[in-house]
Amino acid sequence: MKYWNPYTETLPIEELDRIEFSFFKDYFAYAKANSPMYREKLKGINAEDIKSLDDVRKIPFTYKDELRAQQEVAPFPYGALLGVPIEQVSAFRQTSGTTGKPVYVPESYESWQWRVESWCHILWMAGFRPHHRVFLPVGYNVYVAFWECHYACEKVGCEVVPGGALDTKGRVNKILEIKANAMGCTPTYGLNIAEEAMKMGIDPKTMGIERMICAGEPLPEATRKKLEETYGAHVYDHIGGTEICGWAGMCEEKKGLHIIEPFFLIEILDRETLSKEVAEGEIGVVVITPLGRHSFPMIRFNTNDMVVKGKVGCACGRTSRKIMEVVGRADDLRKIRGVLFSPKTVEQFIREDYPEVVEFEIVVTRKGIMDELTLRTELQPNIGKEKAEEIRNRVKESAKIKTNLTMNVTLEPEGTLPRYDLKARRFKDLRGEK
Amino acid sequence: MMDEIRKEITKIEEAANRLKTLAPEMPGIKRNADVILVFTYLLKFLTPGGKSA
Repeated sequence: MKYWNPYTETLPIEELDRIEFSFFKDYFAYAKANSPMYREKLKGINAEDIKSLDDVRKIPFTYKDELRAQQEVAPFPYGALLGVPIEQVSAFRQTSGTTGKPVYVPESYESWQWRVESWCHILWMAGFRPHHRVFLPVGYNVYVAFWECHYACEKVGCEVVPGGALDTKGRVNKILEIKANAMGCTPTYGLNIAEEAMKMGIDPKTMGIERMICAGEPLPEATRKKLEETYGAHVYDHIGGTEICGWAGMCEEKKGLHIIEPFFLIEILDRETLSKEVAEGEIGVVVITPLGRHSFPMIRFNTNDMVVKGKVGCACGRTSRKIMEVVGRADDLRKIRGVLFSPKTVEQFIREDYPEVVEFEIVVTRKGIMDELTLRTELQPNIGKEKAEEIRNRVKESAKIKTNLTMNVTLEPEGTLPRYDLKARRFKDLRGEK
Repeated sequence: MMDEIRKEITKIEEAANRLKTLAPEMPGIKRNADVILVFTYLLKFLTPGGKSA
């Protein structure tokens, strides 16, 4: 069976629109009645006054910073964001804190299962089936992505193997020992496992992994292809967030991501005005309302994620809206020497053109009034000095062409740069530090 | 077909609510009935139409 839910996945878009709008009104009324934050924030707007998408656009956004402030009040630790009695909270999760103080996220059993259901769409779309033994080489901790993946794997019928509390070598051995044939991990860690396997004399293609779902960090197309080539596997992306859930996934066509409809009302808005939907092919900021999640209501959450809006429908037969590319998070963009810089650009050309580079890190510092950009690279072992120097010069040239910025490129000894199993932090902006 | 599915979901929902009424002092039964209600909520999410049609 191709679809997780053939009914909603093939409904005409106009019908999905009607359903989502209807869900939105109910959800809005719920949030206002049950969340102290929204009771205050939405004062003066009533669900019955929302008659069109234009009316939705008049409702104020919810920002991440706002959430942090709302958690300063009782009940601890969720504050005014809690949308159910605290006795109904069955799991604690939190954001990673990449952009500031973490946000604590309460999950009721119902809300958690709602999230899992959305993730089931993502996994099924990525071809995960009951014959898959899925290894999750991650200590999930309090972070949501791999918990969602774990529960959804169980629900779609896969056999899931939690792989926390092992080092990378132990995880390679575990994959081989139990004959895992699928995996869920961050793209970075997928590459690290392959690197470790090669050090152990094992070709990752022989490990038996046939399918992989990536989570936890952006997956540039070049990295996705590199993972596919490295493992000889099908590799799929998805996008989500702790505050709102996994909301779009990749089908077998591997061309963009399908929005999971009608679970979410997704708006992709013009970056300057944040007031109108962008056209197909344009970049916009994603604003999300998860339409069935009660323990942590979220109305028009401004994710700060920037995506290229795709068309409606797909060769796979699904009728949902698509996004063609995740450009990055607005927070990730930096102005360096007056030029707008995205670290993703560097990852893209490194993965695409430099298979010899096994790890890298970008560091920006300030000397006097000048920004200085350094790209630290670590090459595969056993590359001769002369060859390494040649690669370094080529990387420097590529960086200049792709980013319009001149970078110092350094060659670091093997094992110097950090390896990550959760969210990689390869970009360090040290300009504010003395 | 969708109408029939929706009717069955409603029947399950009603039965789970009856279970809760019948067993107010039996946490195991009450909680499992609550869990059934969580899944009827999800089933309704997978079969929308009634409200918007």
